[in-house]
Order: sequence, then structure tokens, then C-alpha cells
Amino acid sequence: MSGDRKPASLAEALSLLAGAPEAPLLLAGGTDVYPARAVAEAWGRYAPRPVLDLSGLGLAGIEDRGDHHRIGAGVTWAALRDAPLPPWFDGLRQAARQVGGVQVQARGTVLGNLCNASPAADGVPPLLTLEAEVELASRRGTRRLPLGAFILGNRRTALAPDEIATAILVPKPAGETRSAFLKLGARSYLVISIAMVAGLLEIDSGRIAAARLAIGACSPVAQRLPELEAALIGARPEEAAALAAPEHLAPLSPIDDVRATAEYRRHAALVLLRRLLAGLAAPQAQGGSQAA
Amino acid sequence: MAETASATHVRHGSSIGQPLTRRDGVLKVTGQARYAADNHPPGMLHAALAVSSIARGRVAALDVAAARAHPGVVEVMTPANRPPLAQDPDDKNGPFVFRMEALQDDRVRYAGQPIAVVIAETLEAATEGAALLAPRYEAEAVETGLDASDVFIPQMVGPGAPAEARHGDVEAGLAAAERRVEATYETPAQYHNAMEPHAIVAAWEGDRLTVDTPSQGLAWAQERIAGLLGLPPENIHIRSPFLGGGFGSKGVISGPQVLGILAARLVGRPVKLVLRREQMYGPVGHRGPTRQTLRLGAGEDGGLTALHHHVRTATSRFDDFLEPAASVSHTLYAAPAIATTYDAVRLDTGTPLFMRAPGEASGSIALESAIDEMALECGMDPLEFRLRNYAEVEPMSGKPFSSKALRECYAQGVARFGWAGRPLQPRQMRDENGLLVGWGLGTATFPALMFQGQARAVIRRDGTALAETGAHDMGQGAWTALAQLAADSLGLEIDQVEFRSGDSRLPDAGIAGGSSHTATAGIALHHAGADAIAKLTELAMADQRSPLFGAGNMGVVARNGRLLRRDDESRGESYADILTRAGLAEIEGRGTGAMDPAVPEHYATHSHGAVFAEVKIDPELGQIRATRLVGAFAAGRIVNPRLVRSQYYGGMIWGVSFALHEQAVMDKCSGRVMNANLGEYHVPVNADVPSLEAILVEEHDPHVNPLGIKGVGEIGITGTAGAVANAVWHATGVRVRRFPIAIEKLLV
Ligand SMILES: Cc1cc2nc3c(=O)[nH]c(=O)nc-3n(C[C@H](O)[C@H](O)[C@H](O)COP(=O)(O)OP(=O)(O)OC[C@H]3O[C@@H](n4cnc5c(N)ncnc54)[C@H](O)[C@@H]3O)c2cc1C
Repeated sequence: MSGDRKPASLAEALSLLAGAPEAPLLLAGGTDVYPARAVAEAWGRYAPRPVLDLSGLGLAGIEDRGDHHRIGAGVTWAALRDAPLPPWFDGLRQAARQVGGVQVQARGTVLGNLCNASPAADGVPPLLTLEAEVELASRRGTRRLPLGAFILGNRRTALAPDEIATAILVPKPAGETRSAFLKLGARSYLVISIAMVAGLLEIDSGRIAAARLAIGACSPVAQRLPELEAALIGARPEEAAALAAPEHLAPLSPIDDVRATAEYRRHAALVLLRRLLAGLAAPQAQGGSQAA
Repeated sequence: MAETASATHVRHGSSIGQPLTRRDGVLKVTGQARYAADNHPPGMLHAALAVSSIARGRVAALDVAAARAHPGVVEVMTPANRPPLAQDPDDKNGPFVFRMEALQDDRVRYAGQPIAVVIAETLEAATEGAALLAPRYEAEAVETGLDASDVFIPQMVGPGAPAEARHGDVEAGLAAAERRVEATYETPAQYHNAMEPHAIVAAWEGDRLTVDTPSQGLAWAQERIAGLLGLPPENIHIRSPFLGGGFGSKGVISGPQVLGILAARLVGRPVKLVLRREQMYGPVGHRGPTRQTLRLGAGEDGGLTALHHHVRTATSRFDDFLEPAASVSHTLYAAPAIATTYDAVRLDTGTPLFMRAPGEASGSIALESAIDEMALECGMDPLEFRLRNYAEVEPMSGKPFSSKALRECYAQGVARFGWAGRPLQPRQMRDENGLLVGWGLGTATFPALMFQGQARAVIRRDGTALAETGAHDMGQGAWTALAQLAADSLGLEIDQVEFRSGDSRLPDAGIAGGSSHTATAGIALHHAGADAIAKLTELAMADQRSPLFGAGNMGVVARNGRLLRRDDESRGESYADILTRAGLAEIEGRGTGAMDPAVPEHYATHSHGAVFAEVKIDPELGQIRATRLVGAFAAGRIVNPRLVRSQYYGGMIWGVSFALHEQAVMDKCSGRVMNANLGEYHVPVNADVPSLEAILVEEHDPHVNPLGIKGVGEIGITGTAGAVANAVWHATGVRVRRFPIAIEKLLV
């Protein structure tokens, strides 16, 4: 519509945003924006808003910045999936392979997935286990928020009206790391997760030195499992699966919906968690990354 | 697998039986095939449908001024200014006429009903204009489920079958039974979801109208549009060369299509209206939900003593289409006493409509599940039980089958699948990864019907021919299979025959529905070609200069563009020579395709099949993967084995979808379909489609029609859905009776 803009630089985008009389709709790959708009249009709830298209900003790089990796706002799931990245990214890349289907992976951005803040966003659990930060820019300056502080709730983020999310920053873990992701859905692809689990282990002398685990689609925002993470420290990786117990899922608050009951979600989350840990104990045996 | 039919299906030199590739394939894969929405007549405007977000009540206000003021908007059509119709769209004036919403008033009957049309220079402007209408409603409480109050007993189900049918004494049969099964199964509302949305491009010239729109029934559409507009049918020209799928939803003209025509009338310019995906979950029909209770009785020997199939279904509050789900029980198993009964409720939804295998698909999954439950009750293998109750004659009517190679289907399917050694008890098999493995069986059946169709064939002086009938290619391959039939009827190679189709100005080919199109239009073409050949033969036999002169009763055969004496094939001459000598440019034949009324009087006519399914199930998560399907089908003469196999594959995938994926989720408060998009309305994705095999079992039907052609378009769903459900039970020991099967129900 009139008022739609496609700026060619971040500076231009930020000044357009700062001066906009009506908050524009930020558009990345559009794979969340357009379906949401279709539903609104379908039921007569569509309030046209000018679009600020971010695809011209040139933020599509994955860069090694010494102590961290920087995943630009324009990086698609396909680009991430196909990038040569160190093992701690394995889980995130397994998620990349399972977001939608190849068409959605080709269009949709990783950062768009975080900004959309769906409870079932497949990118959130792996990035939580990577202790990623989100970089936000405005004319006022740049700030960084840990992912857990960026996503505030179901479809709510800390993004201010004059801000654009510009990158995901992933710190490099120490030592030997293994990571993985498992997703459960009602069909093979193109499916909203019933539950998904991400895990990252740092291993030192055959023992777990640090563990980070997160579960999605079982609470408004994906949750880390701090008690289990603590319990795993010092254990051998092959003991990990057996240590996971129902009480470790206390941070979850699953609901009944059309995809599954809360009870099933709780059950499935634990099954997936144990499988994920078992897989991390024998990484070479890990074939497919799907739940089954 | 070799793409040939068995030898006896293929006469030497004939096109019928050959696995020709789709003749329109190159056009399609190169984007040159012109679908309805690809038409852009000069001066064309775009229309966007505004639809109701409530399911029952009335539209109290629309901000027409705001929409009209939007840049690019040309006009807004509402009940206030909608051009008049000659007939009330709510009049039921024919057997296949459904009530439609064409802005006749401010009533809202279901969510997604058209309430206004915005017409603009661009699609964007029309869409934005529609968003500005900001409707206000007076909403009433809605009914959305099968437990709605006010249950009624319908007189008719489906397109006009009696709702109640009885044969023998079911209660006595049940009372005498040593084993009984009573179980209730539920199937959800499903939506056709053809890839191509309903689209219409309408252009008026005076009181003549040209319409580009996908249609499975050109003559019906022409008649319906003409009736509504009060114009002679010949003033309405409909072009429908290609459909991007129809599955029944394009069988009758819908309200939105009529609104496209009226919009063009209103603005005096051509108008294009294309339904959005979500708009295909309301005004264009769906498969009605069912709750089916099966009561079966059997003796110690596994012989059925009684079968009662009761169906609760739902129609809309304003019109009737009742899913005829119990009809499968009339034909499949030889119970001495059978009763099929119905009751129904009225919901605030669009009216249901026929959807691929209407009745049979929903009924088959329930019946095949119940039969499996009874087989277990009797301690018999599911196949053994089915063979024990094999129907030698149609059980309900006592009529013999015109043909029935179901035994061969079972035999070939069993061998190919490797059914032998299947444990009777469930939860006995695992694969190398520890997944539970289950095998299930379902019997497939679908009636062999025919509508009425006509065709015309013309042999030209250059030795080529023209064959035409207004048939419908929905992707199934009508352009190819019908041309094969036409070529054989004319004794010509297929490339010598120009085949015209997909246009209302051509002879009525009958509807592409009921798996009957190849038979109906094909027999019409067969007779038209034969008629042209007969006239040509008369011409030659009466001409002293012809080598065929006086061939008389010995007759002649037509082959390769020549007429030959049957008693001496060295004597003959070409069509071209005959016509040239007679000084004729061409000779015309006409033909009709219809079922001889004596056939259904004396025979039950059905296609049959047997489908074997393997599923693998994650024991801890319940996650299901259908891994292998083998279907063996007998459907009379196979005109094109490649196309037929593709119909079976498609049907079998629909069967998997029925058992495991598909359902419309209704919001109980708003009455809206909550998953009205292809992201959330699940059908199998490629990775969900198992290894498929379809075996074409040879079957000769000397009765059903002169060529012995039955139908193949719908049968693949039947049998398959039940086979998958039975395999899920066999893998887990859990019998889920609500479809699609929710994985969480499989945890024990
Ligand atoms: C068929 C289909 C299947 C899908 N399957 C999955 C799936 O399996 N798993 C899954 O997690 N998701 C799935 N999705 C959702 C979607 O593809 C992902 O969330 C995707 O990562 C979104 O990225 P995008 O670039 O398309 O975002 P957009 O749609 O462009 O934007 C999404 C939201 O983020 C905001 N936004 C985007 N970029 C920025 C930025 N740089 N700064 C601030 N705000 C921003 C937008 O304003 C919008 O609110 C699916 C979508 C479809 C259509």
C-alpha cells in the first residue's frame, strides 16, 4: 500500500522508523507476517499498516567475531542450515532443517522467528541453550539483550517502537561441545511443534562440565531447565538420560490445544529430553534429528 | 513398474490400454495451460469478496462509503445495489441445485459467507477496500457439533438415496449371534482444498456472457447461471479447459461465482474474482462430519448374522446434503440382515457437498474398522474373515454383480504385500529401531455409475478427424483418456484426431463426478465415432467404385484410417478416398453415453479393491508413520494404466490423510473454521506419503457399458483409510475410533 518503504541501509531504516507517524510493520521474510495478515483479512480484522521492508539492509551475514558469532537479521533458515559452523550450532541447524519446509526455510529469517515470539518458535530453544543475545538498534543507539530477556511472553518482545533487531550474537562455549535438537509434530514437515527440545553439553575429561537444556511449545516462552542442568554437571554423558526426571520439567506450563493435551506434552517433553541426552552421549550414532 | 495393462486390455493397434502420458502435460509444466484466473480480458477489474466473521445473525452495518472512497475502488456491491436475479438463489428447482448466498439479503448463515464484493482497478485496492467495510453484526448463538439439539430423521441422503434401507431382520440376527460388536466411530468435517481456488472471470457483451471458471459440470453450470440470470442457456459461454483439482467442490456453481458475474454486470466491465484459500472453507461445500454406530453380529463360524450401520451426520441450517456414509454396508459383506439408518442435525456452516468418494470414504473407514473388530472377536485373520463373508451377490439387493474381481484383488494384494504370517494379536511386531509395526487391511468399493453425455465426431476429407465433448479435465487426464477412446472409435491413430473439450459450446459430456466421467463421456465418444464410421461405411458400400461395394452383412472394420472388408482385409480404402469420391468435405457422427436402464435393474455395478497398509509407531510418543501401502483394484477396462495408477495413488494418499491428518477444527463460539489454511489444515506432505503400489487387477465387465469401463477416481480412498486405521490398531493394540487418529491416544 502507499507508505510501504524498503530502505537501503540501516541508518535510513532507523530514521524512517523514528519519524514514522504510524508504527510500521517490520517485514523480513514475511513467513509469519503474511499468514497472520491473511487470517486478519479473512475475518475482516485487517487494519492495513505501512510496511517497512528490511530485506534491503544487507544484514544477511554469518560472521565469526572472535569470541562470538554474529547472525545478521537477514540470515535465513536455509543459509544457517547450509553454513559450515562449529558443533555447538548443530542443534540450531537441526532446527533449521525442520522449520516449515524448504520454501519457508528459504524465505524465513532466524531473527524473524525470535521477533515473532511464538511459543512454538523452533529457533528459541536452541538459541536459549547457546545463551544468545539479540542486538537491537535505534537512533538512540544499540543495545543487547539476552534472548530470555528479549522475549517477554506469547508474541511479546522487548523491542521498542523505534528499534530494529539487527543480529543474534552467539558466544563461543569453552572446550568440547555437543548440541542437538528434537522436534515432535503431527506430520513430517510443515508442522507446528507439539514440543521440541534443545540441548548443549560442554564436556571436559569425559564429564559434563556444563549443560544447557530448553524446551519449547510447552509454555508461553520456551524454558531452560536449570535444575536438571545443575544435576548433570559432573555426570558422564551416557548417564545423562537416566538423570532426567519428571520434576525437572517444573518450569513448563503446557496447555491443552488442538495439537495436543497438556498431559501429553509433558510426557512427550520428557521422552524427547531423554532421547536428546542419549543422543548427545553417542553423537556419532545420531542419524536423523527428528523425534522418530 | 511397467506401465502397461494386461494384454487382454490392449487390442492390437488400439490406443485404449496404452499408458500415454498426459497430452496437456507440456502445457502445464511450461505454464502455458490457461486456467480460469489466467484470463485478463481488456478493461478487466478485480473483485474481492468480503465475508462474514460471524456464523449466524445479520449484517447490521457496512461502511460502504469508506471502501468506495479508497483509491482504486470502483464499486462496492451489497444487497442494496446487487443487480437483480431472475430466480431466488434460495429456490430449489432441480435435483442438484443448492441454495447459495448471492447477496440476496442481510442474513448470515455461516462464517465465511459473502456479505459484499469490492470491485477495483487492482487486486490490492479491492482487498484493502474490503478491509475498510468494518461490518457490524447482530450475532446469534451457533451450533457447530454433532451433539446439536433438534435431531431429525432425513428422508434422503446424498444426491437422493432413501435414508433408511432394510433387508432381513437385523434385531433377530443380532439376538441369534454368538459374537457381537457395537462401536461408534467419528469422522470430522473435511474441505476439498483443490490447489486451484474457485476463480471466475466474467465478461458481458449485451445480454451475452462469457465466463472462465473451473467446472466439473459445464452443462449444469450453464443451466444454473442461465436460470439465475433469466437468460437462454446459449447466451452463457463457459470455458473450463483445465481445473487445478475439483474433488466435487466445482461440481455446482457456487455463490461467489455468481457474484463475480453480477459484479461484472454492475460495473459494465469484465471482472475477475478469485477465492482466497480461507474463503474455500465456507461457500463451496465440504464433507459433512459423521458419527457412525456399527452393530455387527456373527456366528461361531465367523459368518455375519446381522449388520446395522447407523449414521448421525450434519447439514447446514438452510439446505440439505447428508453424507450417505452407510451405503458401503449395502454392498460389501454378505450379512443376511442389513439395516442402514440415519439421523442428522443442522449446523451453522455452509452446506456440505459431495467430496471425493462422498459417503463411501467416511462409511468405509467405519465399516472396515468394525469388520476388523469383529474378525478379532471371532479370532480370525482379517482377510480370512472378509473372505468368509464375501458377497457373491450384492447383499442388500440380491442382484448379481456385473463383474467383481475382488477375490483376485485380495489374492494379488496379499502376495505383493507379504501378508502371510501376520500375527493375529496386536503389538507383536517391531522394526530394527524398536518402532511398533502394524499391518491392516481394508476392502475398497465404489459404485460404477454413469451420467448422461453426448459427443460429436467428424471425419474429414484429409483423413483426420475431430472429436468433441464438453468434458472436464481436473488433472485426472480426461484430455488424454477421452482422446484415446475417440481415436479407437474412429479407427485412427490418436495424433490424427483433434480432440476438443472443456467448453460449454461443445456437446454436454455429463458431470465429472461419481467416478463416471470416462465411462459417460467415453461411451458418448465411442458411439459418435461408431456413428461416423457407420455413415462412411454406408457411403462406401453403396458406391460401385468402392472395393467395399456390396460388403453387405459381412461388414467392414475401421483401422488406421481405412475401411476394410472383414472377410478380406486386403480389400479396403481410405476414409479420404471415400469422402473425396463422394464430394464430401466431412461426415459427422453423434453419440450418447448413458447407463442402459436395464443394467441397474439386473446388476449391481461396482469397482472393488483391497488395500494393505503398514504403519510404524513410536511406542513412547505415539507418532505414526504410514510406511507401505499396496492396493489392488479391479475396475473393469483400464483405458490408460498410467493415469489410472495415478488416480489410485492419489486416492490412497487421501485415505492416509483421512485416517491420520485431515480435519476442520470448528470454534464452538464463533462457528469459524480455525484452521482454514493449508498450513494448519493438515494433509500429508511428501515425507508423510508412504511407499505406494497400485496393482491393476484384470476384470472384464460385459454388462456395465459397451466398453466395460468402471470408475477409478474415488475408490482409492475407500479401503485405504480403514486399512491404515486397522494397521494402527495392529501396531499398538489401541483402537481409536475418532478420526483423524490423535497420536496421544496411542500411548498405553
Ligand atoms: C508454512 C509455514 C511453516 C512454518 N513452520 C515453522 C516451523 O516449523 N517452526 C517455526 O518456528 N516457525 C515456522 N513458521 C513460522 C516462520 O516461518 C518463522 O517464524 C520464520 O523464522 C519467521 O521469519 P520471517 O523472516 O519470515 O519473519 P517475518 O514474517 O518477516 O516477521 C515475523 C515477525 O518478526 C518481526 N520482525 C522480523 N524481523 C525483524 C527485525 N529484524 N526486527 C524487528 N522485528 C522483526 C516482524 O515484524 C513480525 O512481527 C512457519 C511458517 C509457515 C508459513
